Amino acid sequence: MQNQGFLQTKEIFAIVLMLVAIKAADSTPSLFAQKAQNGFWLIPIVSFVVIFPSFLLMIYLLKRFRDKNLMELIESILGKTIGKLISIIIFLFAFSTLTLDSRNYVEQIKVLYFPESPTIFIFFIFIGVSFFGAKKGIEVIGYTSWIALPIIKISFFTLIWLVLGSMVYERIFPIFGSGLPVILSEGVKKAAIFAELFFLLIAYKAAKEEAMFRKGAVVASIIAFLEIIAFYFIYITVFDYNSVEKIAFPFHDIAQYVQFGQFFTNIETLFMVFWLFAAYLKFIVFLYLIAWMFGTIFHIKNFEPLLLPLAYLVIIAGLLPFNSIYNEFVLRENLLMIMSPFFILLPFMLWFIALWKGELKR
Amino acid sequence: MRRSRMLKKESPNVSRHLNENVRTMKEQFSYGLNKDFSMRSLTIAFNQKQGRMFYYSSTVNGEQMNLHIIKPLLENEGKDITDIVSVNNIQALTDFETIKEYINSGKAVLFVDHDSQAYGMDIASFEHRNIFKAENENVIKGPQDAFTESLNANISLIRKQLHQSQLINEGIQVGERSKNEVNILYNKDLVNPDILENVRQRIKDINVDTVRNIELLEQYLEERPYSLIPTILYTEKPDKATSYLEDGFIILLMDTSAAALIVPVNFWCFFHTPEDRYLRFLYGNFSRAIRLLCFFLSSLISAIYVAVSNFHSEMIPPDLLLAITASRERVPFPLIFEVIIMEVAFELIREAGVRIPNPLGPTIGIVGALILGQAAVEANIISPIIVIIAAVSGLSSFALSEININFTIRISRFIFIFAAGFFGMLSLVGAFLLFVMYTASIKSFGVPYFSPMSPHFLSPNDTIFRKVIRREWLRPNYLKPKDLVKKRHR
Repeated sequence: MQNQGFLQTKEIFAIVLMLVAIKAADSTPSLFAQKAQNGFWLIPIVSFVVIFPSFLLMIYLLKRFRDKNLMELIESILGKTIGKLISIIIFLFAFSTLTLDSRNYVEQIKVLYFPESPTIFIFFIFIGVSFFGAKKGIEVIGYTSWIALPIIKISFFTLIWLVLGSMVYERIFPIFGSGLPVILSEGVKKAAIFAELFFLLIAYKAAKEEAMFRKGAVVASIIAFLEIIAFYFIYITVFDYNSVEKIAFPFHDIAQYVQFGQFFTNIETLFMVFWLFAAYLKFIVFLYLIAWMFGTIFHIKNFEPLLLPLAYLVIIAGLLPFNSIYNEFVLRENLLMIMSPFFILLPFMLWFIALWKGELKR
Repeated sequence: MRRSRMLKKESPNVSRHLNENVRTMKEQFSYGLNKDFSMRSLTIAFNQKQGRMFYYSSTVNGEQMNLHIIKPLLENEGKDITDIVSVNNIQALTDFETIKEYINSGKAVLFVDHDSQAYGMDIASFEHRNIFKAENENVIKGPQDAFTESLNANISLIRKQLHQSQLINEGIQVGERSKNEVNILYNKDLVNPDILENVRQRIKDINVDTVRNIELLEQYLEERPYSLIPTILYTEKPDKATSYLEDGFIILLMDTSAAALIVPVNFWCFFHTPEDRYLRFLYGNFSRAIRLLCFFLSSLISAIYVAVSNFHSEMIPPDLLLAITASRERVPFPLIFEVIIMEVAFELIREAGVRIPNPLGPTIGIVGALILGQAAVEANIISPIIVIIAAVSGLSSFALSEININFTIRISRFIFIFAAGFFGMLSLVGAFLLFVMYTASIKSFGVPYFSPMSPHFLSPNDTIFRKVIRREWLRPNYLKPKDLVKKRHR
């Protein structure tokens, strides 16, 4: 493993933000808008409120157990057999999320910019680049994320700034859209949009000090959450509920919508460049984390050679769903609904068991 | 290693009999065949003994020899050879291996009858250029002198700027057949001992016949010879070298090169010129901003043009798009081919421009500008806009004057053009990201390439921009210097 303890709070912060915040700019909003109409921007708030305590509890457990990452922690609390089983379930969750998400991203790229190219081609390029990036190791991923972060954020905020004029704030009313119950239940069901935060904990020991990781991860998750809310709010105020339901990729639609003065009217490719940076980085991080999980579960110390077979599997499995609609609205939605209760409850379960076994008293 | 041991075994010690020594010397240096290898016989005045002096007439200073060695030996009285001879460095030698080294490095060696040691006397004077203006690293404001092919002159240029007893100049022999000396300069109170030891060790580990100069040494020292990214900084300006010494870096010099090597380095070192610091805060940073822009333009503009006009033409404003299309109407080639023609043409001019003899210099300008610019457009081989693109990317590459990074960019430019031609922005962004990640993974003597930006280190934050000079009170901590804090100006 190419890790010499150079990663600090900043890099962890950047990695987490890369992994989570881009949710603001993919097709997740349209998934929500189907159910909650113009109240959909409130769903992430509910989700975050539901899942963040579990995340904090998990971090707390990691802190108490010291020097263990997610999988090692689970194993040490639940014993070898059950621990391995749970770890494998988490790995499968992560793998499915990665697969479905990557298909989703590939479809976005295809639909918006390369409508005539075959999906498989774009898939190979996309995951290929992610693979070569991930091969460089977590440190380099950290450095690159930190260096790329300001540029990506500046581009996103430029977009917000350009679109400010087109926002109609009254469009958030009725504030709860299809109704409060819908938002609450959707928020809990889809709490797993923040599941990446849990996958990330496999890298708990990556930083120079564990405290740096904790700080970086917690701060970044809050900022990512705020960013997601801000973008969802923009989508609803720009598009209104009728059209936002029909828009698959609101981020790119906004990018196509805005113009920079009278001369530069089509600047979506500019934003697409930075969005691509973010997307590549997200999948580089994700792919690396998955290989790491696999390596930890099966005690493979040098897990980086696993990246190639895993990347290949991601492509093959990602191509399986018949079309992108099915991928997005059936598979991805179901996966989120299965993962949500799992990740909400798992930390509490671990905590109770650890408490019961008296392991927290040390 | 084995060879060096064999060489050592053959070398006997100095004998008490002069004739024996003379025979050995004649044999070793092929006296008679080797025209400039000279022997001078003399009778030493104070003890009336026979003496023989050996030297290369081409490498010693004849005047000095007459004045400080021969004349005193023939005339002066005294107790000992060392008292009589008035050269500033005289050394007693006992084995022929060292004697050989002495003579090869331009010194003279004196044998005396009935004396079991020889005397090595430093009157070496290798020919070298005078000190001229820097040819390749020009500055408008700042010292103009440049290193020359003489170690002593170079060190004197550095010591002139840095009046410190802590500045150490250490010599290490390198090469098995021709033993050349590499001089390591560093500040004893600042340098990180681990890095210094690493540098020393790497120089000692070089196991080749000869390392003639610093340019070759650079290639023996680096870790990744196939890498696109340079890990050693090369400079011909003593003031640049000195500014690095002040921060705890290590400088390598050799007698045969008009340049110094600086280790370890990071990405930013290749962007900076000494002038950034000589210019006032805003001016210096302005020129850095331009240089950063040049970096992106030079490496990416052709690629972006290919990507945008092939895959994302909706991005170009309609009027401009029409203009581009109209100018391309009569050009038969695909766009990427056009770009590559022009980039290759520019590289041709450039390579030819470096090699061309001086009197022919102006010709190339005419040929380049006329044939490759105007005529190619009129012949409908390329469109005018490509000329602009290639000119911008070529011109920008000159702003990055550091020769290593210059090549990095010129080569990576072609990679990016091909990437852009493959799948537009998708593959171009991917290629650029991988390029950045590859660069981030490089380490120069243990220092991560993008430090101190990421990974973060305490430092004067002299990365893309620099601070006001009086606010720079830290040394770069990625070197782990012994003393991090500079004296602060208040």
